[in-house]
Amino acid sequence: MIAGAVLTIFAAASLTNVFPQIDHTQRYSFAGSNALAAQIRQGAPADVFASANTSLPQQLYDQGLVEKPVVFTRNALILIVPKSNPAQIHSVFDLRKSGVKLVVAAPGVPVGDYTRIVLHNLSLDDALKNVVSNESDVREVLAKVALGEADAGFVYTTDARTVRGKVATIGIRWSAQPIVQYAVAVVKSSKNLAAARYFVAKLQRPWAQSKLRAAGFLAPK
Amino acid sequence: MLVASFVTLAFLALPVIAVFARVPPSKLVSQLGNPVVTDALLVSLKTTLAAQALILVLGTPTAVILARRFRGREALVTLVELPLVLPPAVAGLGLLAALGRTGLLHTSIPFTQTAVVLAVAFVASPLYVRSAIAAFEAVDANVVAASRTLGAGPVRTFFRVVLPLARAGLASGAALAFARGLGEFGATIMFAGSLRGVTQTLPLAVYSEFDVDFDVALAVSALLIVVSAALLVTLKWLPSLSTSRFRFAASS
Repeated sequence: MIAGAVLTIFAAASLTNVFPQIDHTQRYSFAGSNALAAQIRQGAPADVFASANTSLPQQLYDQGLVEKPVVFTRNALILIVPKSNPAQIHSVFDLRKSGVKLVVAAPGVPVGDYTRIVLHNLSLDDALKNVVSNESDVREVLAKVALGEADAGFVYTTDARTVRGKVATIGIRWSAQPIVQYAVAVVKSSKNLAAARYFVAKLQRPWAQSKLRAAGFLAPK
Repeated sequence: MLVASFVTLAFLALPVIAVFARVPPSKLVSQLGNPVVTDALLVSLKTTLAAQALILVLGTPTAVILARRFRGREALVTLVELPLVLPPAVAGLGLLAALGRTGLLHTSIPFTQTAVVLAVAFVASPLYVRSAIAAFEAVDANVVAASRTLGAGPVRTFFRVVLPLARAGLASGAALAFARGLGEFGATIMFAGSLRGVTQTLPLAVYSEFDVDFDVALAVSALLIVVSAALLVTLKWLPSLSTSRFRFAASS
């Protein structure tokens, strides 16, 4: 029964590379978690929702749309610049320099909210004046920096690994990092509830966890 | 046949009606005061008008040339029409590849309002140029010749004879291009990004508000529907308007 059903998994864009490694038999829709949550609210036929934060699944849970979410992994933020580093950015504090083209995710997109927390923790709120685009998910930020069109962008450390050679990374000190927890939940309207619950359980097993860690994700606390 | 046409009409009308049915009109109107909406409206008006000016100023002479018969004309017309059938995302990628910082021409246009204008001009210009070519082709060569033999120079003939005769076609092409430009999304988001007050046009605001505030997204959609419908109605009006005025001009 479980082997037969192909699940539709709505997952945060940052899970684009690792989820198919954990289970390549499912159908995935990767996008900004907030866009996916909005689609689920509009009745999109998802079986599982994996979000790059805990608040969106919690909201859907409170609205009776998903089962109780569980945290299955964590992540951290990093600043990336194109390999050629056109704006000569060598530390996060260089983001305040005028004329820097900073690309971030929009507020409401989990990584967009985390980005603003990081900047606030570093007392760098004024760097937001250099934002030239609010993107809809982390992979858009990644693409624009990797392409060299943007001078810098905030992504997850796991995203930066997927474009090695195209970007250079600048770490963010742990004390300034937000808590980036990924929560997953079974969508209540799923026609494959058993398979969906199995998938959610599988994510927490050692094998899936080792895949996540190999991709740079952190163990759930 | 009747059933098919009913299904077609219902299918086409339903999404439009649904936008208005979903939120009470009073709420739609109040959302129009939302700063996200007013910012997007300003950006849209500015960029679409600028693109429209570019299209008219550069597209009209282009259409005049392409309305003539010469070898290789078909190839050039196809080139001009290509953006019409190109997926907008491809247009955006092409603009980045051409005008991006790492692109062919190494410009710093991406993420600016200029980028929006260029994206809009790129996808909307074929609608105008195509229509303008057809309009210029339809101008009776004898009338042009008569004007020249009567002593009017080429410039005067163009502005006093050709342009008034082609007016209806030019105007409908311009209106279509404007409507298409106002709705531009794919090329813009790829080439110009999305920043409120700078590059976030109305369609981009619909997209970004969809997962933030559905009501705002609906209000912006409703606004776009009204404007687009108004443009279409104007379009239907244009031919009769300009032909009657031309008749008036010709008889006076």
